[in-house]
Amino acid sequence: MKWLIRRVIKKGKGTLQYEEDIHYGEELDIGRGADQAILVTDVRVALEHVRVRAISGGKKYRIESQIAAGVRINGHIEQTATVGTGAYLELGNIRVTLIEPPAGYEAAVEVAPVDKSEQNARLEAERLPNTLLETGLSKRRPSWLLFAFFLLIGLIIPLLTHYIPAMGKSLRGTPLSTAAWESGELAAPHHYFGQDCTQCHEQGFVSAKDDKCLTCHERTQAHADPKLYANFELADADCAYCHRDHNGVDGLILTNQSLCSDCHADIKHRTNNVSKLAKVSDFGNDHPQFSVNLPAWDAAGKFAPTRVSMDSKLVENSGLKYPHDKHLGAIDGLNSPRGKQILTCESCHLPEVGGARMAAIDFETHCQDCHRLTFDRLAGDRQVRHANVPEVLAQLQEYYAKRALDGDYEEAAAPSVVRRRRIPGAAAAAISADEKRVALDWARNKANLVTRTLFEGKACGVCHTVQALPASDEGMLRFDVKPVRVAGAWYGKSEFTHAQHQSGSTLQGGGKLDCASCHAAALSKTSANVLIPDIANCRSCHAGEGAKGLLASTCIDCHGFHQTPYPLKLRTELRAAKPAPPVTAAKPTIKAAP
Amino acid sequence: MHDTMLNYGRFRYFWIMLVLLFGSLAAYIWHFPIGRPNGGSWLGYTLGTIGALLIVWLMLLGIRKRRYASRVGSVRGWTSAHVYLGTSLILVTLLHSGFQFGWNIHTLCFVLMLLVIFSGFFGVFAYLRYPALMTTNRQNTTRDQMLEEISELDKSALTLADQVDRSIHDVVLRSVQRTKLGGNFWAQLTAKDRSGEAVLKLRQAVLSHKPNQPEKKASGGQTLVMMVDFIGQTANDQQAESLRRLLDVMCRKQSLATRVARDIQLSALMEIWLFIHVPLSFGLLATLIAHVFSVFFYW
Repeated sequence: MKWLIRRVIKKGKGTLQYEEDIHYGEELDIGRGADQAILVTDVRVALEHVRVRAISGGKKYRIESQIAAGVRINGHIEQTATVGTGAYLELGNIRVTLIEPPAGYEAAVEVAPVDKSEQNARLEAERLPNTLLETGLSKRRPSWLLFAFFLLIGLIIPLLTHYIPAMGKSLRGTPLSTAAWESGELAAPHHYFGQDCTQCHEQGFVSAKDDKCLTCHERTQAHADPKLYANFELADADCAYCHRDHNGVDGLILTNQSLCSDCHADIKHRTNNVSKLAKVSDFGNDHPQFSVNLPAWDAAGKFAPTRVSMDSKLVENSGLKYPHDKHLGAIDGLNSPRGKQILTCESCHLPEVGGARMAAIDFETHCQDCHRLTFDRLAGDRQVRHANVPEVLAQLQEYYAKRALDGDYEEAAAPSVVRRRRIPGAAAAAISADEKRVALDWARNKANLVTRTLFEGKACGVCHTVQALPASDEGMLRFDVKPVRVAGAWYGKSEFTHAQHQSGSTLQGGGKLDCASCHAAALSKTSANVLIPDIANCRSCHAGEGAKGLLASTCIDCHGFHQTPYPLKLRTELRAAKPAPPVTAAKPTIKAAP
Repeated sequence: MHDTMLNYGRFRYFWIMLVLLFGSLAAYIWHFPIGRPNGGSWLGYTLGTIGALLIVWLMLLGIRKRRYASRVGSVRGWTSAHVYLGTSLILVTLLHSGFQFGWNIHTLCFVLMLLVIFSGFFGVFAYLRYPALMTTNRQNTTRDQMLEEISELDKSALTLADQVDRSIHDVVLRSVQRTKLGGNFWAQLTAKDRSGEAVLKLRQAVLSHKPNQPEKKASGGQTLVMMVDFIGQTANDQQAESLRRLLDVMCRKQSLATRVARDIQLSALMEIWLFIHVPLSFGLLATLIAHVFSVFFYW
C-alpha cells in the first residue's frame, strides 16, 4: 500500500511549505521510536504510540492505539476508532490529519505542527472547571425562577381564582386557590362553606362585612337598641370586631374582657349618658352588686317582679310561708304519714330538663305527702283540691249535701235525718220533703263550717295568707288567698346554670361545692329571706380575666351579648340608610384580624 | 483578635440585634391582643413591618457589595449588620406570627426565610473558617503556581519514565492524561484524592528494593502496580535510580494535586451556600409579596 505523508512546515509570517514522503506498508506507525513512519519527538508520545490502517481504499481509516494511554482522535482520547477522511490525531506537538489520497496513492495523511499557543489553548479547553461558576451553576437564573415560581403559585394564580369564578371553582380547596392564603383554620361552623373564600371576602382589600354574616345569622339580636345607640361606638363595630375567624375551630367566640370593658368601664361617658348601666370592668374588682328580681304585683294584680340590688334589705314577698329550717333541720327526719322522712334540697328543688333553671315546686308533688288537705275525720282519705277556691267550696257543698241526703253520717251534732241509716228497699229509706230541707240546711252549714276551718284554720293558712271576704249575695263564702310566686329568673341580666356547678368541685376552703355552699337554706326561718347568693358568694371562687388563684371569668361567662329584642339586621339597615354618624368616642384601636 | 464581620464596630450590630430581640420579646409579653396573639394585632403588624423591611434591606446587600464606589457604610459593616439582623428575624417573625403555623403561604414564607437564614449561617461559618484553612493549604503559593508546577512535574515524570522503560512511560503518560483537577460541583466539593497515600507506600517499597507484596499490589493504583512489578522483576541500577526519581516526582505531584483539590474544595465551600442562599432569598421575596398582599386583600 502506498501512503502519502505530507508534512506542513511553517515558515514565519504565516507562509506554509509542504514536504511529501511516500511510505509503503499496510500500516502507518506513529511514535517516538526511530522505526516509526512518522516520528514525533515529544516526550508525551510513546515509542510506538499509534497504528493507522487504511480501509476501503483510503475512504476510511482504522486507528489503533498501541499503548494503554490511548490516542486523541478528533479531540477525544480513544483506544481504537474507525474514522473517515478529515479526522485528525493529536500526538504531543503534532497533528496528523487523515486525508483523501490523491491519485496514485491508496492512503494519505497530513502532518502539521501544533504551536505552543494552540497547545495551551487546547489544555485550557480540556481543563475541568475548578470554580463553581465554571460548572455552569448560576445564582441569577434560579433566583429569577424561584421568584417567578413563588409569585405565580403564591399570588397570581390564587388571585385569578378570586376574580375568575370558573377557575376558582375548579381549583377550590387546592393549594393553588386562595385556600393557600388562609391565615388560620376557620371556626367549625364556617367549614360548611369555607372553601369558597368569596362567601365572606367578596371584594379585595375590604374586610368581611356584616351583611355577609347576616346572610346566615338573620335572627341574631343586636346588643342594644340600634336607634338609641346609633351615634355611638357600638353602631360602628362590625361583627368581625369581636368575632375573628381563622383562629381555629373554636376561635370565633372571644372571651376577652376588654371587648366589653372598653365601653362598659366608662359606659356613661361613652354613650353621653344615654345608658343608665353601672360601670363595670372586671368581675373580680369592678362589678356592681347583683340585683335580683323579687316577686311583686302591680296595682292591677299583674305579676311584675321588681329588680332590687342585693345591697339593699331584701324581703322576698312570695306569698308563701315556708321556713326552710323546719324542713331541712330535723336530723332524724320529719314525721310524715309514711313515717320518718329526711328532706334534702333535692327533695323539692330539681333542675329543669336542660339544666338551666330549677323546676317549679308544685304542691301535689312536693307538699301534699305531708300537708294533706283532708277536711272530715269521718272520711280521712278525702282531700279537697288545691289552689282552686271556688271549686273547693263547691266540692264541699256537694259532698255534704250528698252525705246529708244519704244519711248514716255519724256525727252527734247532726240532725237525725242525717244520722239515720237508709236501709235499701225499706220504706224508711224514703225521706220527707221536710226532712230533706233539714238535711240540706245542715249540709250547707256544715260545708261552710268545714270551709272556714280549712281556709282559716290549719290547712290553707299554714302556708298561705288567707283573708275572709264578705259572703257573696248568694251566701257563698269567699276568701282571698294571696298569690304565691317566686320570680322564676332571679338574675335578670345574666345566665346562671346549676348544671355547671354540680360536678362536686372541691372548694379551696375545704369541702365540696354543694347547695349549701351558695344557699343558706338550713338557717332560714322565714320565706322572707332571699336565699339567692350575692356577688361576694360568687367571688369566693370567681374573679375577672386576670385572676390568680381563682377562676378567671370574663363577662361572657355570665352575660350574653346578643340579648335584646332588637334584631341586628335593623342596625345594619340603619347603617346602610345613612352615612355613618360621627363617632363621639374613641374608635376601636384594632381592626378585625385579617 | 482579628477583624471579622462579627466583631465589626465593637459588636455594634450584635448589640442592636439584642435590643431588637429583647424589645420585641418584651412587647410580646406585655401585649394582650384580643384573641390569641397573631399577625393582625397592632404588635403583629408592627413586627411584621419590621420583618418585611429587614428582609428587603438584607437583600440589598447583594447590590451594595457590588457598588465599590458607594460610601454608604463599608461592606464589612453591612455584612455584619446582615448577619446579626438576619438572625434576629427568626424571633421577630415568630413573634409576629404569634407562633401560629399552617399549610399556607404565610408559613411557607417563614420556612423559606429559615432556609435562607440557616444557609446564611453556613456562610458565616465558611467565611470565618475557610480563608485560614486556604492560606495554610496553599503554603505561600497560588493555585496557578501549583498548577504550573504540576505541569512541569508531569514533563519531568515523562522524561524520567522514558529513561526507565516504555511500559512505564505508557503508564505515566496515562496517569498524566488522567490527572484532572476540579470537575462538576460535586467533584469540587468532595475533592476525593487517595492516590497520594498509595504513592507514599510504594515509594517505600521501591527504596527498600523489596520484592513486591501482593497486598501492596492490591492497594495501589494501576500506575504504581506496574512500577512495583517492574522493580521486582527487571530493573537494573540505572533504571532503578530513574524510577526512584520518578516516584519522587510523582509523589510531589500527588501532594500538589491533593492541595489543589483541597484549594478548589475550600473555594467551592465558600461559594456553594450562596447558590442556595441567594435564589431562596428571591423565592422568599416573592412569597413575602404574596403574604403581604394576601393578608391585605382578604383583610
